[in-house]
Amino acid sequence: MPDNSTYLRERLGRLGIETRREDEIVRELGEHLEDHAAALEARGVTSGAAAREALDSVSDWPGLRHEIVSAETEETIMNYRTKVLWLPALCAITLSNGIVALMQIFGRPPDSYWLSASGKSMQVLSAFIVPWLISQSVVGAIAAHWSRRAGGTVRYQLLAALSPAIVLLGLFLLVIPSSILLHKQALHNIRLSAFMIVTLTWVLLPALPLLIGAAPFLRKPQAQS
Amino acid sequence: MLGIDTRIKRGSGELAILALLDREPLHGYEISKRIAQQTGGVLQFNLASLYPLLYRMEKRGWVKGKWEEAKSGRQRRYYHLTRNGKKQLAPLREEWGMFFQALHRIAGVTHAG
Repeated sequence: MPDNSTYLRERLGRLGIETRREDEIVRELGEHLEDHAAALEARGVTSGAAAREALDSVSDWPGLRHEIVSAETEETIMNYRTKVLWLPALCAITLSNGIVALMQIFGRPPDSYWLSASGKSMQVLSAFIVPWLISQSVVGAIAAHWSRRAGGTVRYQLLAALSPAIVLLGLFLLVIPSSILLHKQALHNIRLSAFMIVTLTWVLLPALPLLIGAAPFLRKPQAQS
Repeated sequence: MLGIDTRIKRGSGELAILALLDREPLHGYEISKRIAQQTGGVLQFNLASLYPLLYRMEKRGWVKGKWEEAKSGRQRRYYHLTRNGKKQLAPLREEWGMFFQALHRIAGVTHAG
């Protein structure tokens, strides 16, 4: 059978995708046509007729081109991980931070918890907003449900639900220590105990309602259509 | 919007391909041949219907194509089932089972086999 690639390129035209991928598709379709023709020849069809019949098996080349381009570009724009993790996580992070910002804008004072240091003076142990912590259960539920509906596995559902806490953990673990190292004067202001308390307050405490909210949705993914 | 026949064919094709690749990696032509053989010709995928489906599944991370040498000595693009693909197989089986049960209840449609 003659080389199919020239014929396929004529029929399909430029796909408008990455050249290497386009070459690969043309090569793969060419191999398929070659197999098809070989199977026909094995059934007694002459070589020329087999080649023609294989090529004629596609009646709608513009339709095939459209389907291939659609398949190649649809998921490039939004791949699996984007759908099941990044989008629900982005939604959860935006919601979580949006709610806390709104509460601060509208004057909700943080709930402060005090600690007596060596029985003499009172120091702030931590300050957080209880209604915001409660709202995190809804955020966790939305993220987990979204991820599951998009076909995410339980791991992705969990990661999406916990993303607001994970982002803050990353912030505390990376940004604060590196800023301490870069700006040595910060050592006087940020103590390890304070760092641990802030991490507990803004990461571990919100993680709990996020997890509680997500729990009913942490199941096998719904298959995508 | 896709027509119901297109969606059914695509959905059944996805399940058939995942189930086949769960057994062993196959190249495109072999996939179409096995689907036709194992469904008694009821399901048939030609070049035009098979490859867009395979490319969509690959983009979703359900299958992964790799150029490998076939028994004939030719390089062929073999599709391997990925972990994500394996995870899709069970819910797809479940959905199609429910689909046929629903059809059976309403129209008396039963499995042929």
